[in-house]
Amino acid sequence: MDNRSRDTVIGYYGFPRRKVLREARERFGRELGLVDLDVDRGALDSGILPWTTCRIIANIVDNAVDLRGRLVAIVAAVGEDKCDRGRHAAYLLRRLGFTVIESRFPDDELENRPLVISRSRLPLREKIDRIMATVVDPGAPAAPPAACEPTHGFWGVPPHDFRILDLFPETTHVYGWVRCVEAGRPSDVELECRVDEGVPTVFFTQSFCAKQDLAHHLAEKHRGLAVDCHREINDSILAKVEAFVKLS
Amino acid sequence: MSGKGGRVKIADCGSTWTKILDPAAHTLEIITTKELVRRADERFEVATGHCGRGRCRIYRNELVALAEGGLSLVDDDDFSLVDVGGRDIKFVRLKGRKVEKLDWNLACGSTTGATLELLGNYYDIDFSTLPASDRWVNVTCGVFGMERVLEQIAVGTSPEESVAMFLHGLVRNVIDFVGRPAHFYLSGGFCENPCFMRTAERYSRVTPLGRTVLLEGLKKVLE
Repeated sequence: MDNRSRDTVIGYYGFPRRKVLREARERFGRELGLVDLDVDRGALDSGILPWTTCRIIANIVDNAVDLRGRLVAIVAAVGEDKCDRGRHAAYLLRRLGFTVIESRFPDDELENRPLVISRSRLPLREKIDRIMATVVDPGAPAAPPAACEPTHGFWGVPPHDFRILDLFPETTHVYGWVRCVEAGRPSDVELECRVDEGVPTVFFTQSFCAKQDLAHHLAEKHRGLAVDCHREINDSILAKVEAFVKLS
Repeated sequence: MSGKGGRVKIADCGSTWTKILDPAAHTLEIITTKELVRRADERFEVATGHCGRGRCRIYRNELVALAEGGLSLVDDDDFSLVDVGGRDIKFVRLKGRKVEKLDWNLACGSTTGATLELLGNYYDIDFSTLPASDRWVNVTCGVFGMERVLEQIAVGTSPEESVAMFLHGLVRNVIDFVGRPAHFYLSGGFCENPCFMRTAERYSRVTPLGRTVLLEGLKKVLE
């Protein structure tokens, strides 16, 4: 089998079942790197999706096309733990010739892991990076970060453009789908919508993401700030969040 | 950092208009931002606005300047304040003189103020005498709103009525954006637009604060 390039990788997106990800590694090679296709890797637009597509879904397709020869398989979260467009992306990628392994997170596999990083005192960017790394390696951190009381909240998914995260203090707690990832419960909408009362929270979504419905509702309910952004963050969005963090 | 002539100046450098205050001399200069762009050497001690970054020693966020300006000018404990600019709409609601809610409309719904100014210039509209219209067009954003105005004119509506309908649509956006309060304070150039004020009064009681609210907020930096 091993005429594959040394930099061959397995792609994944969303939060696939740990069992499915493990089986894919056993099937295609444990030594292969894993690449999160959700994140911005600087790939060119593939032109496969409409302009009005959530940037994260566009990243998945654009990254896959960009990596094409290096991707031996894509492990695709397509259940309630992701979204319809994640499922559609899997359909399209399969028709583009990729090997796609679908994952749907069943309720009996939902975990209840402690929320150590979400509630810690760390730069927000680092918190989200560390939580998302638990999709591949759920082992508890060797040195758990110190917990803190929340002064602010960030609700949502990892953004396409992480610069927005740098506006928040280290005492920002993480809510929403990212918190669900840390808990090992990516399809738990009740947990996703739970925030601490009285904590000024930014409810962030990519534009054209279905989670905008939740963000709008929660921002009204908790007097937070709903922010959506297509592609890169611009100065106006940064200024809006900066003012909210400062004035709240 | 001093402005031209060595005097300390503060400025609100909006997308279409720039307001420059010399606090010591109590002089206010209002210029188009295209004029500011031509003044390559113009520098300010404190500035806010999209075009102020890079021209000042201290830069202040627009929403922060708006909130602080409102607190300087308004004595109420609880109030809503909205700034309708050329490019966007900024809003703060204060309760007990603390910010309870803020928002800033961006890409969608934006550039409506600048578009109204363009339409007014193109059709020679005098907003001081333009009657408020009972009808409105949906002003989803400046471009979509302009398309509606052009369509109205194409089907025989007068340019004056069509522009007043655009303005009415813009007012409805503002009212919805600030949460339909019974009363709010208004900041920005629309304070000087009688047709805007007459149209807005159909929905809420409006108190105009003028074009220097953000400058009042900037003054606090000098204190």
